[in-house]
Amino acid sequence: MNETNWRLSKRPTGIDGLDALTHGGLPRGQATLILGDTGTGKTVLGLQVLANAVAQGNGGVFVSFEESPAQLLRNADSFTWGEALTESEAWSSIDARDSIGAEIAGGFDVDGLLAGIGSQARGHDDPWIVIDGIDQLLQHQPDPSASIDQVRQINEHCEKRGWTLLLSGKVGDSGLSPRHLEGIEYMLPTMVVLKASIIDRRLNRFMRVAKYRGSPHVTDEVPMVMNRQGIQLPYLTSLGERRAFADKQRVSTGIPRLDQVLGGGPYRGSSLLISGRPGTAKSTLAAGIAESTADGGNKALLVSFDEMEAPYVRNLSSVGIELQPHIDAERIHFCSLSAMGSLISEHLLKIQQLIEAHEPQCLVIDPVSALLKAPGSEGPRPAIEWLLELTRKNGITTVMTALTDEGDPEGESTLGHVSTIADTWIALDYNVRAGERNRSLSVVKSRGTDHSNQQRELLLSNNGVDLADIYEFGTEVLMGTARAHKQSEMQAATRHEKMQRERRRKDLERRIEQARNEMERLNTELELQEQESREERQFDRDHSDDVKRRRQPDSKKEGEDK
Amino acid sequence: MNASNEPGESSVPALMLFVTGDAPRSLRAQSNLEAALTKLGCDAIKPLQVDLLEQPEQSVSYSVFATPALLRTKRDGKISTIYGDLSDESKLLDFLKPLAAK
Repeated sequence: MNETNWRLSKRPTGIDGLDALTHGGLPRGQATLILGDTGTGKTVLGLQVLANAVAQGNGGVFVSFEESPAQLLRNADSFTWGEALTESEAWSSIDARDSIGAEIAGGFDVDGLLAGIGSQARGHDDPWIVIDGIDQLLQHQPDPSASIDQVRQINEHCEKRGWTLLLSGKVGDSGLSPRHLEGIEYMLPTMVVLKASIIDRRLNRFMRVAKYRGSPHVTDEVPMVMNRQGIQLPYLTSLGERRAFADKQRVSTGIPRLDQVLGGGPYRGSSLLISGRPGTAKSTLAAGIAESTADGGNKALLVSFDEMEAPYVRNLSSVGIELQPHIDAERIHFCSLSAMGSLISEHLLKIQQLIEAHEPQCLVIDPVSALLKAPGSEGPRPAIEWLLELTRKNGITTVMTALTDEGDPEGESTLGHVSTIADTWIALDYNVRAGERNRSLSVVKSRGTDHSNQQRELLLSNNGVDLADIYEFGTEVLMGTARAHKQSEMQAATRHEKMQRERRRKDLERRIEQARNEMERLNTELELQEQESREERQFDRDHSDDVKRRRQPDSKKEGEDK
Repeated sequence: MNASNEPGESSVPALMLFVTGDAPRSLRAQSNLEAALTKLGCDAIKPLQVDLLEQPEQSVSYSVFATPALLRTKRDGKISTIYGDLSDESKLLDFLKPLAAK
């Protein structure tokens, strides 16, 4: 090491998660100690780092104290990146297993080892050196303190030569230090600890960067997955460094009235939680959103836990949601996972790979609560948070359904955290009244959106899903038969009232008619009477005239002559 | 230490001592081995000495990674190995016994 390159330079390992943990890789030209018990993945880690280096055009040396060169190749070949090693001459392996029957008669040095590696590393610029299972050699050292010195010696040798070294060894039973290597962790600048433990009868793997001198790093013990792709750290693998953007665009739920309730539909890239007891139509609603996405010509990814594709599609078809044409046209990708079958971290990795492969606009996880029963010591909470961060960053609208317990429709106990993270939360439930169950929907929250606070009736029919009109009655929102009943009751009352009014009007009209007739009659009577009295007055006048005439003799006396 | 026993000789030497320069353990191994051979009356046997700092590739050829290491070629051509500075005399004598019997 000369004056100009004393600064820490990081060398990417090609394992995304590890490079994220270490903020860029392991120290170049220095030694990193990999500690872990048997079967924790130390050898695989070494092989994978070397394979990545070889694929990048670099090379190195793999010193194996445990496996034969053939075993190493077989081991590498079982991974997707194995070909980089099996088909390449850019690296060599050194078989350093103990010679059978070898005796130890006194202390020994590791200079021979370093010399041997040096002879193999010659010709490689900037090589990766992996010494796998150094404890197998050093355990024979009669004086443990000599072992420590030798690890230090290996480290210094690497620095001098500019080798980037991975030195692996087993962890002792009692703690961090490997057997026979008490205190080794103080010697090396960087240390990665691998752990595997059985939790709920399942193997859970973890990785932790226990030490990284001169560099910040993630100090958490993070879940690690080992599968065909080798070692992966699901929580630390990100799809690029895209920033989450707040999209103003709304996506349709496929139910116009629900869109209305949500102020136009959920925002693109937001997350939607649909919770409810069994049979409250969670899947139906969620799949409806997938269908609506596909109808719009976009892609949807439907991840179903513990439900097979065929019956799922058939059941939805009965309520007018047709996924099959979209699946055939590859607009909807259906993936059925077994919740208990894998660890939470493995599920996450799978979903992430599906997202990468299909680039959907909409992700449906039905139900996300299945993750609660998937094994995994880290618990479902960070998994869901991580997943939502991933989808948000990629502008994927995420719909999660969650099963809640009977009697606890909003399932605070189990869903508390999911509902906190989700942007929109729709709670489905039944209302049991007058001998029937009616599905109801209410929007518990919807960030950044004016939304209705009312519980509504959710209607399922052959033609699909819909919301009934709000039917308020006083302070209640009525549903189902009660709603229909109340509706007809109200109609009857109105009709009745109308009839009553009509009758009263007719009655009054009749009475007016009667009164009018009476008036006419009275008028006639009055006329007659007036006529009579007129005639009477005439008669009287005639009569008095007559009398007057009789009393006056000079007047004519016709009448008296008779 | 013996110029006539340089590696590369056609005959397989009976004893090979792998050392690394003048490392203390290597030096101790040399003297311990000499003493043991004298004790067994095998002074005639001159072990072939291989310095891995000069010939590092021999480390891989002979699978010798811990030094010093003493290799003995058995009659059937197989090699048995003893590692360390050979300070454990009884182990060393046991290891060398077959040579004395010859």
